Amino acid sequence: MTIYLRSGGKLKAHLKPDVDQYTRRLVVDGNPTLREILDDLGIPHAYVAFAFAGGTFRRLDYRPSDGETITLQPPVSGG
Amino acid sequence: MDGFGGTILRINLETGDIERTATPPDLARGWMGARGFIAKTLYDEVPRDADPLGPDNLFIMAPGVITGSFAPCGSKIGFGCISPATNGHADSNMGGMLGAEVKYAGYDMVIFERVSAEPVYLVIDDENVEIRPAGDYWGMGSLDLEKRMKEDLGEDFQIATIGPAGENGVVFSCITHDFGRQAGRCGVGAVMGSKKVKAIAVRGTRSLPVRDLPALTKSTYDIIQRTKTHPLMEPWQKYGTALFVGWANEHGCFPTKNFQTTFHEHWESISGERLAEEVLVTHKACFGCWMNCGKYSVAKIPGKPDTYVEGPEYETIALCGGSCGMKDIHHVAYANWLCDNLGLDTMSAGNTIGFAMECYEKGIITKEDLDGHELKWGDIDDFENVVRMIAERRGIGEALSYGTKGAAERLGRGTLAFASQAKGMEFSGYDTRWYWAQLLSYCTADIGAHHNRSWAITADVQIGQDTWKGKAPVVIYLQHIRPLFDTWCCCRLFWGELDVTPEEHVDTIHHLTGWDVTMEECMLVSEKIWNLTRAHYLERNGGPGRKFDVAPARHLDEPIPDGPAEGHKVGRENFERMLDDYYYNRGWDHEGHPTREVLDILGLPDVADNLESVGLLGEPIEGGVPKVRGERLKPKAM
Repeated sequence: MTIYLRSGGKLKAHLKPDVDQYTRRLVVDGNPTLREILDDLGIPHAYVAFAFAGGTFRRLDYRPSDGETITLQPPVSGG
Repeated sequence: MDGFGGTILRINLETGDIERTATPPDLARGWMGARGFIAKTLYDEVPRDADPLGPDNLFIMAPGVITGSFAPCGSKIGFGCISPATNGHADSNMGGMLGAEVKYAGYDMVIFERVSAEPVYLVIDDENVEIRPAGDYWGMGSLDLEKRMKEDLGEDFQIATIGPAGENGVVFSCITHDFGRQAGRCGVGAVMGSKKVKAIAVRGTRSLPVRDLPALTKSTYDIIQRTKTHPLMEPWQKYGTALFVGWANEHGCFPTKNFQTTFHEHWESISGERLAEEVLVTHKACFGCWMNCGKYSVAKIPGKPDTYVEGPEYETIALCGGSCGMKDIHHVAYANWLCDNLGLDTMSAGNTIGFAMECYEKGIITKEDLDGHELKWGDIDDFENVVRMIAERRGIGEALSYGTKGAAERLGRGTLAFASQAKGMEFSGYDTRWYWAQLLSYCTADIGAHHNRSWAITADVQIGQDTWKGKAPVVIYLQHIRPLFDTWCCCRLFWGELDVTPEEHVDTIHHLTGWDVTMEECMLVSEKIWNLTRAHYLERNGGPGRKFDVAPARHLDEPIPDGPAEGHKVGRENFERMLDDYYYNRGWDHEGHPTREVLDILGLPDVADNLESVGLLGEPIEGGVPKVRGERLKPKAM
């Protein structure tokens, strides 16, 4: 299935966007969790504060659907 | 002078004299506003032995060069003084609408001198400036007063107030504006209160002169278009900074029960998601911002009236929430409101009350000290009782009104070991035992422990935790780039979260002022300010500097007992190595004293002379100070 990961800030460089400046298109086998997807991309879990999809918060054990866009929020810079 | 209001206002509260002078161009270019103006003025004018709560201290309000422009985040205004918490330079800023209003009234700095005989408030209505009696207002809560003054003066005035805590000199009193924005840290509210200034009301209707309006318009428009569709805009708008609560718990830095541990078993009940589900009413933005990161909430607690508050932000959730053992987002929101209306910084208040809760747990503070109340973890009624005692400086509240360090010094019995503070100001919402760069940031910050000076948490993750190596250059870089935003006086969230580069802010300054300014120049200004406030601190407090850059025992010696970061601590030797590396990379000597060489580079030879005259000038460094400075210090790790 195909999913789209989006991010910005410090996480963008690790994501390696290829659709636009923020978005990476991924074709994945099976129905992996976000945690497993990050492992495959070599992105440490600590670089992701949480995921955001469908207008709501998602944990790293979330399993994206085909065609879904997931925003990865890096840890905020204090506030 | 393009980009600036053009006038410095000086108010003598003793005589009632009001003096206006033109803002000197060399002050504007050399120090860029807000933090820079405050640092320079405090250094030049406040006697070294001035009591922070006495008549010789100054209280300063100053916007920055970007404030009031419609460029991104140009909302902030700075307040400064000698801090009653640290006895050093203090600056603290707030968002909202006040900064722009001050600029539009035509002012770049308002300096309050001496002390009024009676409570007063200041009204600035463009060129008309009045000191008015505030007898009816004295004693009111900050939020209550702002509402009252809007009714009395009109909705088009922007108001900043202190609460009873500031009137009573609590060293972590804050200044509140726009019903929920604070200049929270360093006790600026206490100094405003010491001068018997209850409120400041401003209306500005003039235009801000801009050198190149078409270019400013275009660059701002481009940033708006880009950031509106930025992927991180939506989560920010939905949760604000509270979205960080989960990560902080899962990665071992969430302060829990006075930093006893770093994982709060009930964190989900006080998370950003719970905030959005249960208490959120609407979102709120500052002047010129479209992020709307502010959250306006309602706390509904049986037996208490529904209470509306801006917040809670991450810091309040961490310190009034986790560090006090709270398990209910409504309770955290209510605690936020209590602090706001009493005029207390939620960060220092939460940290101090958590400290007091541990003292109660250990039997060092008793029910008798608390007027018959208890002080149990997570109990909102106990929290309310003690926070009111602090604001009134009543009973045990008197000792606690000095913050954790001052309270520990008064309570004794080993309590200093679990006071999470540096230089007398409380840690913000991050435990540092697994984040060593953050500990270094806290302990070397000029204003005491504040993450806004340097938030190094992800640097620790990127470089590697449990090591001191490579941390000092990162901290120094962050201590230059982050306070630069306090100097420009604009919000750093667009840079930190939405990929608006600092260079774009420099372009904004160029379009505003016409200055041929570079990022390198701006970073050197920031480094210059850092060294000036360091020198000021040493001249006020003596040396060696190293004895002030100390870490709390809990963070050095006590391993985290459980949770994802179980077993981690910093260790004294590691901290000292980081500090050695930090001093060297700053061009300071082994005792943490700036050297003549680095002060000359930064254009501060007179400061070197002053330090030398009191025996605090740094010894020359063998081989000279590191040549990499300013922007070029940006480590690869970033």
